[in-house]
Amino acid sequence: MIGGGAAADRLGVVGVDVGGTFTDAALVAGGRLFTAKVPTRPDDQSAGVVDAVARVLEAAGIAPNALARFAHGMTVGTNALLEDRLAPAALVATEGFGDVLELRRQDRAHLYRLGEHHPPPVIPHDRVAEVRERCGPDGVIVPLDPASVDAAVARIAGMDVRAVAVCLLFAFAHPDHERTVGAALRAALPGVHVSISADVLPEIREYERASTTAVDAALTPVLRGYLHRLGARAGEAGLPAPEIMQSNGGLIDLAGAADHASRTVLSGPAGGAMGAAGIAAAAGIPLALTFDMGGTSCDVALIRDGEPGRTGGTVINGRPLHLPMLDVVTVSAGGGSIAWADSGGALRVGPRSAGARPGPAAYGHGGTEPTVTDANVVLGRLAGAGALGGAIRLDAGLAEAAVARLAGQLGMEVAACAEGIIRVANQEMARALRLVSVERGIDPRGGAVIAFGGAGPLHACEVADDIGAARVLAPAAAGVLAALGLVTAGERRDRTRTVLVPLAEAARLHGPLAELVAGARADLPGATLTVAADCRYVGQRHALTVDWVEEGADPAALAAAFHAAHERRYGEAVPGHPVEVITLRVAAARPGSPLPPPVPGAEAPLCGPVAIPMDGATCWVPAGWTAVRDAGGSVDVRRDGTEGAWTP
Amino acid sequence: MDPVTLRVMANALRAVAEEMEAAMVRAAHSPNITERRDCSTALFDAAGRMVVQSASIPVHLGAMPEAVAAVIARGAAPPEVWIVNDPYRGGTHLPDLTLVSPVSLDGTVAGYAVTRAHHADVGGMSPGSMPAGSRELVQEGLVLPPVRLVGADGAPTDILDVILANSRTPAEREGDLRAQLAAHRLAQARLEEVAGRYTPPAVAHAMAELLAYAERRTRAEIAGMPDGRYTAEEFLEGDGVTDAPLAIRVAVEISGDRMRVDFAGTDPAGPGNCNCPIAVTRSAVYFVVRCATDPDIPASAGAFAPVEVVAPEGSLVAATPPSAVAGGNVETSSRIVDAVFAALGQVVPLPAQGQGTMNNLTLGGNGFTYYETLGGGQGASPDGDGPSAVHVAMSNTRNTPVEVLEVAYPLRVEAHRVRRGSGGAGLHRGGDGVERRVRALVDMEASVIAERRARGPRGAAGGGDGAPGRTTVNGVTVPAKWRGRLAAGDVLGLETPGGGGWGAAPG
Repeated sequence: MIGGGAAADRLGVVGVDVGGTFTDAALVAGGRLFTAKVPTRPDDQSAGVVDAVARVLEAAGIAPNALARFAHGMTVGTNALLEDRLAPAALVATEGFGDVLELRRQDRAHLYRLGEHHPPPVIPHDRVAEVRERCGPDGVIVPLDPASVDAAVARIAGMDVRAVAVCLLFAFAHPDHERTVGAALRAALPGVHVSISADVLPEIREYERASTTAVDAALTPVLRGYLHRLGARAGEAGLPAPEIMQSNGGLIDLAGAADHASRTVLSGPAGGAMGAAGIAAAAGIPLALTFDMGGTSCDVALIRDGEPGRTGGTVINGRPLHLPMLDVVTVSAGGGSIAWADSGGALRVGPRSAGARPGPAAYGHGGTEPTVTDANVVLGRLAGAGALGGAIRLDAGLAEAAVARLAGQLGMEVAACAEGIIRVANQEMARALRLVSVERGIDPRGGAVIAFGGAGPLHACEVADDIGAARVLAPAAAGVLAALGLVTAGERRDRTRTVLVPLAEAARLHGPLAELVAGARADLPGATLTVAADCRYVGQRHALTVDWVEEGADPAALAAAFHAAHERRYGEAVPGHPVEVITLRVAAARPGSPLPPPVPGAEAPLCGPVAIPMDGATCWVPAGWTAVRDAGGSVDVRRDGTEGAWTP
Repeated sequence: MDPVTLRVMANALRAVAEEMEAAMVRAAHSPNITERRDCSTALFDAAGRMVVQSASIPVHLGAMPEAVAAVIARGAAPPEVWIVNDPYRGGTHLPDLTLVSPVSLDGTVAGYAVTRAHHADVGGMSPGSMPAGSRELVQEGLVLPPVRLVGADGAPTDILDVILANSRTPAEREGDLRAQLAAHRLAQARLEEVAGRYTPPAVAHAMAELLAYAERRTRAEIAGMPDGRYTAEEFLEGDGVTDAPLAIRVAVEISGDRMRVDFAGTDPAGPGNCNCPIAVTRSAVYFVVRCATDPDIPASAGAFAPVEVVAPEGSLVAATPPSAVAGGNVETSSRIVDAVFAALGQVVPLPAQGQGTMNNLTLGGNGFTYYETLGGGQGASPDGDGPSAVHVAMSNTRNTPVEVLEVAYPLRVEAHRVRRGSGGAGLHRGGDGVERRVRALVDMEASVIAERRARGPRGAAGGGDGAPGRTTVNGVTVPAKWRGRLAAGDVLGLETPGGGGWGAAPG
């Protein structure tokens, strides 16, 4: 039975994920899954969202008021960051340090292209106000000068801004000055959003903290407008108030999402990873790698015991965003990636993409350059009217002509060139899978690849071969997996704080830990709490995040866990060396609804090479692999001759 | 090799070098490696030719092959790891500790893994081992010819004890060396995996093909440059001992698909420490070649095969023992780049001069040493303004965050800002430099090695010069190369140069 909880058994749960081209809905009601796809509305995504819900409710034949929950994943934040559509914002900084965003970390944009610039700061230097104050590692050095605060507030009042970021030195440890400045801004500038670095990211390193806080400030008014429209539309349609997927893989209520836009920047990819995690958990797969390949990019993540890997931050469009998030790595390789010959005679794929328009040559929209999709068409792996969900007809002649031109340049046969395009693209994606597994100290060879997105099942077996994995699972819901992830996701809130405490003085952790725990309890009453600590050897600079099984537990257990993690990651541990705790992390989580285990099918195994059509995708089973389809339509592919292989 | 396998292998080997660097950076102890990333990694083939390098620090580009050649000459065998820093036997300057290990596949040496990291202290006359005013190499720190750091039994040798005994910060050195060794273990494991996927002979074949590929592409680019001989000269603003200008003269000859870079006429090595071993000079030339060609070409021995570098033995740019070299790697290398840019820029579109210095600051006292370099203005280019507040040439290290710095050292940063208006005027403006003021909280020794304090970086095509830099102690200007003591409460200020402008300013 899908959909946990007594209420959810009687009522439906709907998840809606907005992608670049389509808005997908997944509805689970009465133990059945219903899906719908509508075009994304670029002008106002919220209209498409409500359309998708209406469509899926119609398919299920239930009324809006029969929904228990409405979960939403979106790309509004990511897109606004990528396209620089941010609200005008100001920055308040410590006197002498107002250029923190512009100075970055002083490394240049490109090692050898000397004219290349970094993207401009989220907040330009003429909208920076400095206040006289200074804290150091041990506390206040220069008290906050009230006159300088008044002057800063007055200057910002004269700017036409919708948000203010406040980032003062050492505020991660000593936040009082920031709070005073924030209170003054809020009092003087009603309607202007204020983000305080001590709230957004109480962690050491001023540039990364300021960047994250600036993104939070400049994005929040944009996101708030969208969420307000969405909430209103949902209300008019008689739907429950939407809950929003955060970058950390957990849902948050509408008001919480509207408070801090930085929480939901990677909402979309997180939904996909959670969907795959749900599939892995249901199928009893302890180690899985998600492989979400679309038209322009490919997202991958590691899943262990049904839980996606986590990380402390990423960089989007040149702006660091240091917040707890799912460790989803994106590479720009997709079906639309263009293949070309470089001046040294090597075959290259991407990073240029044909996108949705003109798209691959086979789409017949005027594209003439060969893409990964064209290579698949040439090799007969993507054929028939239903290959891409019936939405697009593929012209094999155009694909062949495009690949033939490249083959001519490289002096290759057309089929060999097409295979080469796929090999080079696969290797780029395999590299991303290695990054989230091997480079994190996890051997991917015993794992299964969970393939989704329009092109995922097409490439997954060969990519699995490259990393040594022997199993690929292409879920029936591959086309709407991110939406399904929203249905199954629980709620989650993360709190972190930099503490810089030697483990030998573990008693000093109790105060900050108790505060974090109390905060997390208030965020999500009744939730399960987990505690983790970023630790390092005294003298090291980078830390490893280690789970601290029981809160307030023995520091020796934490030290042992850290030594083991260090050994796994770097091949050595130094057990006698003192350890220190840099940052404490507390997560509060309420579980979502698990998916049911797969039901075996009655069909005979299919030996590769064979292309298996699926709903909205094609699963390519190469020679040496064998596939079995279950009763729900999911395709489970195993490499022949390995443990657990299918016997035809 | 077919075009597909070529690309697949190139990616696989590049991934190994990049993962080595990531592992080293994350496991290391000193901010110099973990925050500033003053380090590089590379894979070499069995013949000692560089196949791939992690893209990080240009000054390491041409200098690693000498280290590998020196180690091969000593007959290195697995599982040994060798260490070298002697600038006259494979090194660059003493703080750069280079580790070289043979990688074996199926029992034979298939290539070499290399890591190079700038260590914050290797002894010598002042903390940080970057002493302004040193006159001979041995004053600058412990000199290590190629020797075994890990022996035939796989365990560290007594050399490790010698290194630690000669550093002011032995625990940090040990941590950083452990991080480098972790990268070498990773190289062995990852190359085994690649060989497992493609067979050891395929790996060897791919390495050779990759070199040929990079050479082919570089030759094609050089062939597109107009044949001819282009000359330029640059002057160092003294070397910490003499204040007299020291001349670097260069002639770049393009002939078909080959480039010859001749430093004939360059002054003899100076009495101070701004001398370059030839390896550093090669790095500087290779950097310009990479800027003038498609940077997509892999940085390998193949890419540099068409480029010949010649320099008079015993000159500023091909120094011989016992000349001091601490500043040559960081400052003279920048000036060599400026000279070669000026020469080649006559026929190839290149930007105006950038700040042309790394503004090396070393502070040290009881139990700590801190090394930092500061970015400045990049020169404007024919198609746009120069970026501000970045490293411009042979370095690309990050800064140490103020918060990390103040937790680690008895220092307080008073200000860190963009030096507005310091970029040269022009149709396109030069980038601005930065200003950083640091207060000493205890008594300490200080050393600054910098350039472009007298004359700013030159503009190009009618653009204005960038503003020269300035170093101050309590507001009083000190020389470009300066060494002295700071008392608790003293403030050291650095204002870095702006980049040159490009084209005459309109109106």
